[in-house]
Amino acid sequence: MTARMTIPLCLFLALSASACGSAQTERGPQPPAPRPPAAYTVGRTLLGLPGHDRVTLATAPVTPLAGWLTPVAVPSPDGRFVAYNAWRELREDDPALSWEDQGIETGDSLARPSIRLHDLRTGKDSAYVVGAFSLAWRGDGAIAYFKGAGHDYRAGLRYVGDVFVRDSVNAPPQRWTEKTDRYVVAGWAGSSLIVYRVRSGETLDVLALDGPGRQRVLASDAGIVAISPDGTSAFVEHGPETGPPRVDLIAISNGTKLASLDLSTVDPAVGVVGYAGDWQGDFVAAPSASGLVVFRVSGGRIDLARTMRAAAGQGVAEPRFVGPSRVTGWTSSSSGGAFVDCDRVSGRCARTVPLPTARGVDGFPAWRRPVYNPSRPQEGEA
Amino acid sequence: MRIALLAGLVLCCWTVGPASAANGWWTFDRNTNLNSTLTWKWTYPPSPAEYSRSWRGGSGTTMDECEIGRCWLPAGWYAQKGHWDHYDGSKVKGRVWWVQDKTCRDGSTRRTELFVHSEETASNGQSCTSTYDDPFCWERESDYYSNGCIKLARPSPVAGFPNDLGAAHATYHDYGGKSAHGAYDNVDANELYVYS
Repeated sequence: MTARMTIPLCLFLALSASACGSAQTERGPQPPAPRPPAAYTVGRTLLGLPGHDRVTLATAPVTPLAGWLTPVAVPSPDGRFVAYNAWRELREDDPALSWEDQGIETGDSLARPSIRLHDLRTGKDSAYVVGAFSLAWRGDGAIAYFKGAGHDYRAGLRYVGDVFVRDSVNAPPQRWTEKTDRYVVAGWAGSSLIVYRVRSGETLDVLALDGPGRQRVLASDAGIVAISPDGTSAFVEHGPETGPPRVDLIAISNGTKLASLDLSTVDPAVGVVGYAGDWQGDFVAAPSASGLVVFRVSGGRIDLARTMRAAAGQGVAEPRFVGPSRVTGWTSSSSGGAFVDCDRVSGRCARTVPLPTARGVDGFPAWRRPVYNPSRPQEGEA
Repeated sequence: MRIALLAGLVLCCWTVGPASAANGWWTFDRNTNLNSTLTWKWTYPPSPAEYSRSWRGGSGTTMDECEIGRCWLPAGWYAQKGHWDHYDGSKVKGRVWWVQDKTCRDGSTRRTELFVHSEETASNGQSCTSTYDDPFCWERESDYYSNGCIKLARPSPVAGFPNDLGAAHATYHDYGGKSAHGAYDNVDANELYVYS
Protein backbone atom coordinates (compact mmCIF):
# COMPACT_ATOMS: atom_id res chain seq x y z
CA MET A 1 0.00 0.00 0.00
CA THR A 2 1.46 3.43 -0.96
CA ALA A 3 1.41 6.59 1.18
CA ARG A 4 -0.94 8.13 -1.38
CA MET A 5 -3.49 5.44 -0.60
CA THR A 6 -2.74 5.02 3.10
CA ILE A 7 -3.33 8.63 4.15
CA PRO A 8 -6.82 8.99 2.60
CA LEU A 9 -7.79 5.57 3.93
CA CYS A 10 -6.77 6.49 7.49
CA LEU A 11 -8.56 9.80 7.16
CA PHE A 12 -11.73 7.98 6.00
CA LEU A 13 -11.56 5.48 8.86
CA ALA A 14 -11.03 8.26 11.39
CA LEU A 15 -13.98 10.23 10.06
CA SER A 16 -16.17 7.11 10.03
CA ALA A 17 -15.32 6.31 13.63
CA SER A 18 -16.03 9.88 14.63
CA ALA A 19 -19.35 9.89 12.80
CA CYS A 20 -20.40 6.65 14.46
CA GLY A 21 -19.49 7.97 17.86
CA SER A 22 -21.45 11.12 17.22
CA ALA A 23 -24.51 9.15 16.18
CA GLN A 24 -24.32 7.06 19.33
CA THR A 25 -24.17 10.15 21.48
CA GLU A 26 -27.23 11.67 19.79
CA ARG A 27 -29.27 8.45 20.13
CA GLY A 28 -28.81 8.51 23.87
CA PRO A 29 -29.58 5.59 26.14
CA GLN A 30 -31.65 2.78 24.69
CA PRO A 31 -35.27 2.68 25.94
CA PRO A 32 -35.94 -0.11 28.42
CA ALA A 33 -37.11 -3.36 26.92
CA PRO A 34 -40.92 -3.63 26.78
CA ARG A 35 -42.41 -5.48 29.71
CA PRO A 36 -45.71 -7.30 30.32
CA PRO A 37 -48.34 -6.18 32.87
CA ALA A 38 -47.77 -6.69 36.57
CA ALA A 39 -49.66 -10.01 36.64
CA TYR A 40 -50.66 -12.00 33.60
CA THR A 41 -51.39 -15.40 32.13
CA VAL A 42 -49.70 -17.20 29.28
CA GLY A 43 -51.81 -20.21 28.44
CA ARG A 44 -52.39 -21.83 31.85
CA THR A 45 -49.32 -20.28 33.43
CA LEU A 46 -49.93 -17.37 35.78
CA LEU A 47 -47.03 -15.00 36.40
CA GLY A 48 -46.34 -11.89 38.42
CA LEU A 49 -48.58 -12.41 41.45
CA PRO A 50 -46.88 -11.05 44.59
CA GLY A 51 -45.14 -13.85 46.43
CA HIS A 52 -45.72 -16.36 43.64
CA ASP A 53 -43.10 -16.63 40.95
CA ARG A 54 -45.09 -18.89 38.69
CA VAL A 55 -48.43 -20.66 39.17
CA THR A 56 -49.75 -23.43 36.95
CA LEU A 57 -53.52 -23.44 36.67
CA ALA A 58 -55.59 -26.52 35.91
CA THR A 59 -56.64 -25.11 32.56
CA ALA A 60 -56.16 -21.99 30.49
CA PRO A 61 -58.26 -18.99 31.54
CA VAL A 62 -60.47 -17.88 28.64
CA THR A 63 -63.70 -15.88 28.30
CA PRO A 64 -65.38 -16.88 25.02
CA LEU A 65 -68.79 -15.45 25.89
CA ALA A 66 -67.47 -12.24 27.40
CA GLY A 67 -64.36 -11.36 25.40
CA TRP A 68 -62.60 -8.68 27.43
CA LEU A 69 -65.75 -7.19 28.93
CA THR A 70 -64.47 -8.88 32.09
CA PRO A 71 -61.01 -10.00 33.25
CA VAL A 72 -60.05 -13.55 32.45
CA ALA A 73 -58.79 -14.11 36.00
CA VAL A 74 -59.15 -12.07 39.19
CA PRO A 75 -57.07 -12.35 42.37
CA SER A 76 -59.01 -12.21 45.62
CA PRO A 77 -58.46 -9.08 47.74
CA ASP A 78 -56.72 -11.11 50.47
CA GLY A 79 -54.38 -12.71 47.97
CA ARG A 80 -55.46 -16.23 48.90
CA PHE A 81 -57.26 -17.19 45.68
CA VAL A 82 -57.35 -16.57 41.99
CA ALA A 83 -60.78 -17.08 40.43
CA TYR A 84 -60.71 -17.61 36.69
CA ASN A 85 -62.92 -18.41 33.73
CA ALA A 86 -62.64 -21.79 32.05
CA TRP A 87 -64.29 -23.31 29.02
CA ARG A 88 -64.73 -26.95 28.12
CA GLU A 89 -65.66 -27.56 24.53
CA LEU A 90 -68.20 -30.35 24.20
CA ARG A 91 -68.35 -30.34 20.46
CA GLU A 92 -65.96 -28.97 17.90
CA ASP A 93 -67.25 -25.87 16.14
CA ASP A 94 -65.13 -24.87 13.15
CA PRO A 95 -65.40 -21.07 12.76
CA ALA A 96 -64.93 -21.33 9.00
CA LEU A 97 -68.03 -23.48 8.61
CA SER A 98 -71.67 -22.83 9.38
CA TRP A 99 -73.46 -24.91 11.97
CA GLU A 100 -75.51 -26.50 9.24
CA ASP A 101 -72.39 -27.64 7.40
CA GLN A 102 -71.14 -29.27 10.61
CA GLY A 103 -74.41 -31.00 11.42
CA ILE A 104 -74.95 -28.82 14.47
CA GLU A 105 -78.62 -28.37 15.26
CA THR A 106 -80.48 -25.95 17.47
CA GLY A 107 -80.11 -26.98 21.08
CA ASP A 108 -76.95 -29.03 20.65
CA SER A 109 -74.54 -28.56 23.56
CA LEU A 110 -71.38 -26.89 22.31
CA ALA A 111 -69.44 -25.98 25.45
CA ARG A 112 -69.60 -25.66 29.23
CA PRO A 113 -68.20 -22.53 30.88
CA SER A 114 -67.14 -22.57 34.50
CA ILE A 115 -65.49 -20.43 37.12
CA ARG A 116 -62.56 -22.14 38.81
CA LEU A 117 -60.86 -21.30 42.05
CA HIS A 118 -57.14 -21.73 42.53
CA ASP A 119 -56.03 -21.69 46.14
CA LEU A 120 -52.60 -20.07 46.15
CA ARG A 121 -51.86 -21.41 49.62
CA THR A 122 -52.60 -25.08 49.01
CA GLY A 123 -52.33 -25.24 45.23
CA LYS A 124 -55.80 -26.81 45.00
CA ASP A 125 -57.56 -25.91 41.78
CA SER A 126 -61.25 -26.79 41.59
CA ALA A 127 -64.46 -25.94 39.76
CA TYR A 128 -66.23 -23.25 41.80
CA VAL A 129 -69.40 -22.77 39.75
CA VAL A 130 -70.17 -24.87 36.68
CA GLY A 131 -72.18 -23.18 33.93
CA ALA A 132 -70.93 -19.75 34.94
CA PHE A 133 -68.58 -17.05 33.69
CA SER A 134 -67.43 -13.52 34.61
CA LEU A 135 -66.82 -12.65 38.26
CA ALA A 136 -65.92 -9.80 40.59
CA TRP A 137 -64.34 -9.79 44.06
CA ARG A 138 -65.40 -7.06 46.46
CA GLY A 139 -62.86 -5.65 48.93
CA ASP A 140 -64.47 -7.53 51.85
CA GLY A 141 -64.23 -10.88 50.06
CA ALA A 142 -67.75 -11.07 48.61
CA ILE A 143 -67.78 -12.64 45.16
CA ALA A 144 -70.26 -12.07 42.33
CA TYR A 145 -70.71 -14.06 39.14
CA PHE A 146 -73.08 -14.79 36.27
CA LYS A 147 -74.55 -18.29 36.20
CA GLY A 148 -76.45 -19.68 33.25
CA ALA A 149 -79.91 -21.15 33.63
CA GLY A 150 -78.40 -24.35 32.25
CA HIS A 151 -74.85 -25.59 32.40
CA ASP A 152 -74.19 -25.70 28.69
CA TYR A 153 -73.83 -23.15 25.97
CA ARG A 154 -76.12 -24.48 23.24
CA ALA A 155 -76.40 -23.77 19.52
CA GLY A 156 -79.13 -21.34 18.59
CA LEU A 157 -80.18 -20.59 22.17
CA ARG A 158 -79.35 -17.44 24.15
CA TYR A 159 -77.15 -18.30 27.12
CA VAL A 160 -79.33 -16.61 29.74
CA GLY A 161 -79.05 -16.75 33.49
CA ASP A 162 -78.72 -14.57 36.58
CA VAL A 163 -76.13 -12.78 38.65
CA PHE A 164 -75.41 -14.24 42.08
CA VAL A 165 -73.49 -12.84 45.02
CA ARG A 166 -71.89 -14.70 47.92
CA ASP A 167 -70.69 -12.84 50.99
CA SER A 168 -67.61 -15.02 51.01
CA VAL A 169 -66.28 -17.88 48.94
CA ASN A 170 -68.19 -20.51 50.90
CA ALA A 171 -71.34 -18.50 51.70
CA PRO A 172 -74.63 -19.44 50.02
CA PRO A 173 -75.39 -17.61 46.74
CA GLN A 174 -78.07 -14.92 46.56
CA ARG A 175 -79.67 -13.98 43.26
CA TRP A 176 -79.33 -10.24 42.64
CA THR A 177 -80.85 -9.85 39.16
CA GLU A 178 -84.59 -9.28 38.78
CA LYS A 179 -84.99 -11.11 35.52
CA THR A 180 -83.14 -13.92 33.79
CA ASP A 181 -81.22 -12.48 30.85
CA ARG A 182 -77.73 -12.30 29.40
CA TYR A 183 -75.35 -10.61 31.84
CA VAL A 184 -71.61 -10.17 32.18
CA VAL A 185 -70.21 -9.17 35.57
CA ALA A 186 -67.74 -6.30 35.30
CA GLY A 187 -66.77 -5.19 38.83
CA TRP A 188 -67.77 -3.71 42.13
CA ALA A 189 -68.11 0.04 42.64
CA GLY A 190 -68.32 0.25 46.41
CA SER A 191 -71.34 -1.82 47.40
CA SER A 192 -72.91 -1.65 43.92
CA LEU A 193 -72.19 -4.41 41.46
CA ILE A 194 -71.63 -3.21 37.90
CA VAL A 195 -72.76 -5.64 35.22
CA TYR A 196 -73.48 -5.60 31.52
CA ARG A 197 -76.80 -6.69 30.09
CA VAL A 198 -76.28 -7.98 26.54
CA ARG A 199 -79.30 -7.30 24.34
CA SER A 200 -80.08 -8.27 20.74
CA GLY A 201 -77.44 -7.08 18.34
CA GLU A 202 -74.84 -7.25 21.15
CA THR A 203 -76.11 -3.97 22.54
CA LEU A 204 -74.55 -3.38 25.94
CA ASP A 205 -76.32 -1.74 28.85
CA VAL A 206 -74.42 -0.90 32.02
CA LEU A 207 -76.43 -1.80 35.12
CA ALA A 208 -75.85 -1.18 38.80
CA LEU A 209 -77.12 -3.89 41.14
CA ASP A 210 -77.55 -2.59 44.67
CA GLY A 211 -78.82 -5.80 46.24
CA PRO A 212 -81.19 -8.69 45.52
CA GLY A 213 -83.80 -7.48 43.00
CA ARG A 214 -82.50 -3.89 43.07
CA GLN A 215 -81.13 -2.98 39.68
CA ARG A 216 -80.75 0.28 37.76
CA VAL A 217 -79.59 1.16 34.26
CA LEU A 218 -76.55 3.41 34.59
CA ALA A 219 -75.94 3.80 30.85
CA SER A 220 -77.48 2.34 27.70
CA ASP A 221 -75.48 1.49 24.59
CA ALA A 222 -72.30 1.92 26.61
CA GLY A 223 -69.16 0.23 27.85
CA ILE A 224 -67.34 0.65 31.15
CA VAL A 225 -63.83 1.97 30.79
CA ALA A 226 -63.05 2.02 34.50
CA ILE A 227 -64.42 2.52 38.00
CA SER A 228 -62.98 5.44 39.95
CA PRO A 229 -60.45 4.58 42.69
CA ASP A 230 -62.97 5.55 45.38
CA GLY A 231 -65.73 3.51 43.74
CA THR A 232 -68.16 6.42 43.46
CA SER A 233 -68.15 6.99 39.72
CA ALA A 234 -67.66 5.17 36.45
CA PHE A 235 -65.98 6.28 33.26
CA VAL A 236 -68.11 4.99 30.38
CA GLU A 237 -67.76 5.13 26.63
CA HIS A 238 -70.38 5.50 23.91
CA GLY A 239 -69.66 4.55 20.31
CA PRO A 240 -70.73 6.51 17.24
CA GLU A 241 -73.91 4.54 16.52
CA THR A 242 -76.08 6.81 18.64
CA GLY A 243 -74.35 10.15 18.05
CA PRO A 244 -70.84 11.55 18.19
CA PRO A 245 -68.68 9.13 20.19
CA ARG A 246 -68.07 10.33 23.71
CA VAL A 247 -66.90 9.41 27.18
CA ASP A 248 -68.94 10.22 30.27
CA LEU A 249 -68.29 10.31 33.97
CA ILE A 250 -71.31 8.79 35.75
CA ALA A 251 -72.14 8.85 39.46
CA ILE A 252 -72.71 5.29 40.65
CA SER A 253 -75.22 6.30 43.33
CA ASN A 254 -77.82 7.83 41.00
CA GLY A 255 -76.55 7.70 37.42
CA THR A 256 -76.01 11.47 37.17
CA LYS A 257 -73.70 12.52 34.36
CA LEU A 258 -70.87 14.41 36.09
CA ALA A 259 -68.78 15.22 33.02
CA SER A 260 -68.60 14.39 29.34
CA LEU A 261 -66.16 14.72 26.46
CA ASP A 262 -67.24 14.64 22.81
CA LEU A 263 -64.51 12.60 21.11
CA SER A 264 -65.18 14.23 17.75
CA THR A 265 -63.71 17.44 19.21
CA VAL A 266 -60.30 16.02 20.18
CA ASP A 267 -57.31 14.54 18.33
CA PRO A 268 -58.84 12.49 15.48
CA ALA A 269 -56.39 9.68 16.25
CA VAL A 270 -58.56 8.85 19.27
CA GLY A 271 -61.55 8.01 17.05
CA VAL A 272 -63.62 5.78 19.29
CA VAL A 273 -62.75 4.58 22.77
CA GLY A 274 -63.15 1.00 23.95
CA TYR A 275 -64.19 -0.60 27.22
CA ALA A 276 -62.07 -2.34 29.89
CA GLY A 277 -59.46 0.27 30.74
CA ASP A 278 -57.86 1.42 33.98
CA TRP A 279 -58.04 4.38 36.37
CA GLN A 280 -55.07 5.59 38.44
CA GLY A 281 -55.22 8.86 40.36
CA ASP A 282 -56.64 11.47 37.96
CA PHE A 283 -55.90 9.44 34.85
CA VAL A 284 -57.93 6.95 32.86
CA ALA A 285 -56.41 4.70 30.20
CA ALA A 286 -58.60 3.28 27.45
CA PRO A 287 -58.27 1.46 24.14
CA SER A 288 -58.69 3.80 21.18
CA ALA A 289 -58.57 3.76 17.41
CA SER A 290 -54.86 4.68 17.44
CA GLY A 291 -53.99 2.19 20.15
CA LEU A 292 -54.35 3.69 23.61
CA VAL A 293 -55.48 6.99 25.04
CA VAL A 294 -55.10 8.57 28.48
CA PHE A 295 -57.68 11.03 29.83
CA ARG A 296 -57.34 13.34 32.80
CA VAL A 297 -60.38 13.47 35.08
CA SER A 298 -60.32 16.33 37.56
CA GLY A 299 -62.32 19.36 38.59
CA GLY A 300 -65.50 18.00 37.04
CA ARG A 301 -63.87 17.81 33.61
CA ILE A 302 -62.57 15.16 31.27
CA ASP A 303 -59.60 16.18 29.11
CA LEU A 304 -57.50 14.27 26.64
CA ALA A 305 -54.04 13.85 28.17
CA ARG A 306 -52.17 11.60 25.74
CA THR A 307 -52.65 9.44 22.70
CA MET A 308 -50.38 6.46 22.24
CA ARG A 309 -49.94 4.74 18.93
CA ALA A 310 -49.70 1.01 18.52
CA ALA A 311 -48.61 -0.55 15.24
CA ALA A 312 -51.07 0.05 12.41
CA GLY A 313 -54.07 -2.21 12.59
CA GLN A 314 -53.12 -3.51 16.01
CA GLY A 315 -56.06 -3.31 18.38
CA VAL A 316 -55.03 -3.03 22.03
CA ALA A 317 -57.26 -4.33 24.81
CA GLU A 318 -57.37 -4.07 28.62
CA PRO A 319 -54.81 -1.30 29.14
CA ARG A 320 -53.35 -1.25 32.64
CA PHE A 321 -51.25 1.42 34.27
CA VAL A 322 -47.88 0.11 35.41
CA GLY A 323 -46.19 2.66 37.65
CA PRO A 324 -46.24 6.33 36.71
CA SER A 325 -44.84 6.10 33.20
CA ARG A 326 -46.16 3.02 31.44
CA VAL A 327 -49.41 1.55 30.18
CA THR A 328 -49.59 -2.05 29.05
CA GLY A 329 -52.26 -3.81 27.04
CA TRP A 330 -52.56 -6.89 24.91
CA THR A 331 -53.26 -7.62 21.30
CA SER A 332 -54.32 -10.81 19.60
CA SER A 333 -53.48 -12.75 16.51
CA SER A 334 -54.43 -16.16 15.22
CA SER A 335 -51.33 -17.61 16.92
CA GLY A 336 -52.15 -16.20 20.35
CA GLY A 337 -51.65 -12.97 22.23
CA ALA A 338 -48.85 -10.48 22.76
CA PHE A 339 -48.48 -7.63 25.22
CA VAL A 340 -48.04 -4.02 24.20
CA ASP A 341 -46.00 -1.74 26.45
CA CYS A 342 -46.50 2.00 25.91
CA ASP A 343 -44.45 4.89 27.28
CA ARG A 344 -46.72 7.67 28.55
CA VAL A 345 -44.06 10.31 27.88
CA SER A 346 -43.03 9.42 24.34
CA GLY A 347 -46.38 7.89 23.35
CA ARG A 348 -44.53 5.01 21.72
CA CYS A 349 -45.56 1.37 22.12
CA ALA A 350 -43.60 -1.85 21.66
CA ARG A 351 -44.63 -5.51 21.66
CA THR A 352 -43.39 -8.16 24.02
CA VAL A 353 -44.14 -11.87 24.01
CA PRO A 354 -43.22 -13.50 27.33
CA LEU A 355 -42.75 -17.27 27.19
CA PRO A 356 -42.67 -17.15 23.38
CA THR A 357 -42.56 -20.91 23.03
CA ALA A 358 -45.64 -21.48 25.21
CA ARG A 359 -48.23 -23.68 23.60
CA GLY A 360 -51.97 -23.38 23.88
CA VAL A 361 -54.11 -25.94 25.62
CA ASP A 362 -57.55 -27.40 24.94
CA GLY A 363 -57.47 -26.17 21.37
CA PHE A 364 -56.90 -22.53 22.29
CA PRO A 365 -53.84 -20.54 21.26
CA ALA A 366 -51.41 -19.48 24.03
CA TRP A 367 -53.36 -16.48 25.25
CA ARG A 368 -51.60 -13.68 27.06
CA ARG A 369 -53.98 -11.67 29.20
CA PRO A 370 -53.53 -9.39 32.21
CA VAL A 371 -54.77 -10.57 35.62
CA TYR A 372 -56.35 -7.80 37.67
CA ASN A 373 -59.24 -6.77 39.84
CA PRO A 374 -61.22 -3.86 38.33
CA SER A 375 -63.39 -3.49 41.44
CA ARG A 376 -62.97 -0.34 43.54
CA PRO A 377 -62.12 0.76 46.09
CA GLN A 378 -59.20 -1.49 46.77
CA GLU A 379 -57.09 -1.58 49.89
CA GLY A 380 -55.53 1.83 50.45
CA GLU A 381 -57.80 3.59 47.94
CA ALA A 382 -60.98 4.13 49.94
CA MET B 1 -111.75 -28.33 -20.39
CA ARG B 2 -111.01 -24.61 -20.40
CA ILE B 3 -111.01 -24.67 -16.59
CA ALA B 4 -108.62 -27.60 -16.59
CA LEU B 5 -106.29 -25.81 -19.02
CA LEU B 6 -106.38 -22.64 -16.94
CA ALA B 7 -105.66 -24.60 -13.77
CA GLY B 8 -102.77 -26.33 -15.52
CA LEU B 9 -101.36 -23.00 -16.68
CA VAL B 10 -101.58 -21.51 -13.19
CA LEU B 11 -99.91 -24.59 -11.70
CA CYS B 12 -97.21 -24.44 -14.35
CA CYS B 13 -96.46 -20.76 -13.74
CA TRP B 14 -96.53 -21.31 -9.99
CA THR B 15 -94.02 -24.13 -10.08
CA VAL B 16 -91.54 -22.35 -12.35
CA GLY B 17 -91.73 -19.09 -10.38
CA PRO B 18 -88.47 -17.89 -8.90
CA ALA B 19 -89.42 -18.41 -5.27
CA SER B 20 -89.86 -22.14 -5.56
CA ALA B 21 -86.96 -22.86 -7.86
CA ALA B 22 -84.15 -20.72 -6.62
CA ASN B 23 -81.54 -21.52 -4.00
CA GLY B 24 -80.15 -18.42 -2.29
CA TRP B 25 -77.61 -17.24 0.25
CA TRP B 26 -76.16 -14.01 1.63
CA THR B 27 -72.61 -12.73 1.36
CA PHE B 28 -71.11 -9.79 3.22
CA ASP B 29 -67.97 -8.11 1.94
CA ARG B 30 -66.40 -6.13 4.78
CA ASN B 31 -64.90 -2.91 3.52
CA THR B 32 -65.51 -0.25 6.14
CA ASN B 33 -67.85 -0.05 9.12
CA LEU B 34 -70.02 2.44 7.23
CA ASN B 35 -69.78 1.10 3.73
CA SER B 36 -69.60 -2.61 3.10
CA THR B 37 -71.66 -4.75 0.74
CA LEU B 38 -74.45 -7.19 1.52
CA THR B 39 -75.38 -9.40 -1.42
CA TRP B 40 -78.13 -11.92 -2.00
CA LYS B 41 -76.99 -14.58 -4.45
CA TRP B 42 -79.07 -17.31 -5.98
CA THR B 43 -79.00 -20.09 -8.53
CA TYR B 44 -81.60 -22.22 -10.26
CA PRO B 45 -80.28 -25.73 -9.61
CA PRO B 46 -79.01 -27.70 -11.33
CA SER B 47 -77.70 -24.75 -13.34
CA PRO B 48 -74.54 -23.36 -11.70
CA ALA B 49 -75.19 -19.84 -13.04
CA GLU B 50 -75.27 -17.33 -10.16
CA TYR B 51 -77.38 -14.20 -10.00
CA SER B 52 -77.08 -11.49 -7.38
CA ARG B 53 -78.30 -8.18 -6.04
CA SER B 54 -76.27 -6.02 -3.67
CA TRP B 55 -76.86 -3.23 -1.18
CA ARG B 56 -74.72 -1.03 0.96
CA GLY B 57 -74.46 -2.42 4.47
CA GLY B 58 -72.82 -1.16 7.63
CA SER B 59 -71.45 -3.23 10.49
CA GLY B 60 -69.78 -2.48 13.81
CA THR B 61 -67.83 0.58 14.86
CA THR B 62 -64.36 -1.03 14.87
CA MET B 63 -62.52 -3.61 12.79
CA ASP B 64 -61.34 -6.04 15.46
CA GLU B 65 -63.84 -8.81 14.87
CA CYS B 66 -63.28 -10.16 18.41
CA GLU B 67 -64.51 -7.03 20.16
CA ILE B 68 -67.92 -7.93 21.57
CA GLY B 69 -70.59 -5.28 21.07
CA ARG B 70 -68.34 -3.07 18.95
CA CYS B 71 -67.00 -4.78 15.89
CA TRP B 72 -68.28 -6.14 12.61
CA LEU B 73 -69.16 -9.79 12.09
CA PRO B 74 -66.33 -12.34 12.10
CA ALA B 75 -65.45 -13.99 8.80
CA GLY B 76 -66.84 -17.39 7.83
CA TRP B 77 -70.08 -19.19 7.02
CA TYR B 78 -73.15 -18.61 9.17
CA ALA B 79 -76.35 -20.59 9.39
CA GLN B 80 -79.52 -18.52 9.56
CA LYS B 81 -81.52 -19.09 12.74
CA GLY B 82 -84.64 -17.17 11.90
CA HIS B 83 -86.36 -14.45 9.93
CA TRP B 84 -89.08 -12.07 11.08
CA ASP B 85 -91.13 -9.35 9.42
CA HIS B 86 -92.19 -7.82 12.73
CA TYR B 87 -89.49 -8.69 15.22
CA ASP B 88 -89.95 -6.85 18.49
CA GLY B 89 -86.65 -6.97 20.34
CA SER B 90 -85.45 -4.20 22.60
CA LYS B 91 -82.83 -2.92 20.18
CA VAL B 92 -83.59 -4.79 16.98
CA LYS B 93 -87.07 -4.54 15.44
CA GLY B 94 -89.00 -5.04 12.21
CA ARG B 95 -87.68 -7.02 9.25
CA VAL B 96 -84.68 -8.94 10.54
CA TRP B 97 -82.62 -12.05 9.90
CA TRP B 98 -80.95 -13.74 12.85
CA VAL B 99 -77.70 -15.63 12.25
CA GLN B 100 -75.72 -18.08 14.35
CA ASP B 101 -73.04 -17.23 16.91
CA LYS B 102 -69.50 -17.21 15.53
CA THR B 103 -66.03 -17.64 16.98
CA CYS B 104 -63.78 -14.80 15.85
CA ARG B 105 -60.23 -15.03 14.55
CA ASP B 106 -58.68 -15.31 18.03
CA GLY B 107 -60.12 -18.83 18.18
CA SER B 108 -61.85 -18.13 21.49
CA THR B 109 -64.25 -15.19 21.62
CA ARG B 110 -67.79 -15.92 20.46
CA ARG B 111 -69.84 -13.21 18.88
CA THR B 112 -73.54 -13.65 19.62
CA GLU B 113 -76.92 -11.95 19.12
CA LEU B 114 -76.11 -11.18 15.48
CA PHE B 115 -78.74 -9.91 13.05
CA VAL B 116 -79.21 -8.31 9.65
CA HIS B 117 -81.58 -5.42 10.28
CA SER B 118 -82.29 -1.70 9.86
CA GLU B 119 -83.66 0.99 12.16
CA GLU B 120 -87.42 0.60 12.05
CA THR B 121 -90.28 -0.20 14.39
CA ALA B 122 -91.76 -3.66 14.79
CA SER B 123 -94.57 -2.60 12.42
CA ASN B 124 -91.99 -1.56 9.80
CA GLY B 125 -92.55 2.15 10.45
CA GLN B 126 -90.32 4.98 11.58
CA SER B 127 -90.26 6.60 14.98
CA CYS B 128 -88.47 9.92 14.46
CA THR B 129 -89.05 12.18 17.40
CA SER B 130 -85.78 13.33 18.94
CA THR B 131 -83.37 15.99 17.82
CA TYR B 132 -80.43 13.71 17.20
CA ASP B 133 -80.74 9.95 16.99
CA ASP B 134 -83.73 7.70 17.37
CA PRO B 135 -83.00 3.99 17.52
CA PHE B 136 -85.89 3.14 15.21
CA CYS B 137 -85.51 5.94 12.68
CA TRP B 138 -82.96 5.98 9.86
CA GLU B 139 -81.82 9.60 9.96
CA ARG B 140 -78.23 9.76 8.89
CA GLU B 141 -75.02 8.17 7.65
CA SER B 142 -73.95 7.12 11.13
CA ASP B 143 -76.97 4.83 11.36
CA TYR B 144 -74.91 2.36 9.34
CA TYR B 145 -72.84 1.83 12.50
CA SER B 146 -73.88 -1.08 14.69
CA ASN B 147 -72.75 -2.96 17.74
CA GLY B 148 -71.91 -5.92 15.55
CA CYS B 149 -74.86 -6.58 13.26
CA ILE B 150 -75.22 -5.86 9.56
CA LYS B 151 -77.43 -2.83 8.96
CA LEU B 152 -79.29 -1.75 5.82
CA ALA B 153 -80.77 1.68 5.16
CA ARG B 154 -84.41 2.50 4.59
CA PRO B 155 -86.28 5.76 3.98
CA SER B 156 -87.64 7.84 6.84
CA PRO B 157 -89.63 11.07 7.12
CA VAL B 158 -86.44 12.95 7.94
CA ALA B 159 -83.96 11.48 5.44
CA GLY B 160 -84.04 10.12 1.92
CA PHE B 161 -81.95 6.99 2.14
CA PRO B 162 -82.70 4.20 -0.36
CA ASN B 163 -85.08 1.44 0.57
CA ASP B 164 -82.34 -1.18 0.74
CA LEU B 165 -84.01 -3.12 3.53
CA GLY B 166 -87.22 -3.37 1.52
CA ALA B 167 -85.34 -4.40 -1.61
CA ALA B 168 -83.28 -7.00 0.23
CA HIS B 169 -86.38 -8.39 1.91
CA ALA B 170 -88.27 -8.67 -1.38
CA THR B 171 -85.30 -10.18 -3.18
CA TYR B 172 -84.81 -12.70 -0.38
CA HIS B 173 -88.39 -13.93 -0.65
CA ASP B 174 -88.53 -13.79 -4.45
CA TYR B 175 -85.29 -15.62 -5.11
CA GLY B 176 -84.83 -18.59 -2.87
CA GLY B 177 -85.17 -17.30 0.67
CA LYS B 178 -87.10 -19.51 3.05
CA SER B 179 -90.77 -18.50 3.21
CA ALA B 180 -91.09 -19.38 6.91
CA HIS B 181 -91.04 -16.68 9.53
CA GLY B 182 -89.95 -16.81 13.16
CA ALA B 183 -87.15 -18.78 14.77
CA TYR B 184 -86.30 -21.91 12.85
CA ASP B 185 -86.41 -25.27 14.59
CA ASN B 186 -83.27 -26.19 12.77
CA VAL B 187 -80.56 -24.05 11.28
CA ASP B 188 -81.38 -22.93 7.78
CA ALA B 189 -79.80 -23.48 4.38
CA ASN B 190 -80.02 -19.77 3.49
CA GLU B 191 -76.55 -19.15 4.83
CA LEU B 192 -74.46 -16.04 5.15
CA TYR B 193 -70.82 -15.90 4.13
CA VAL B 194 -68.71 -13.09 5.55
CA TYR B 195 -65.53 -12.50 3.60
CA SER B 196 -62.29 -12.02 5.57
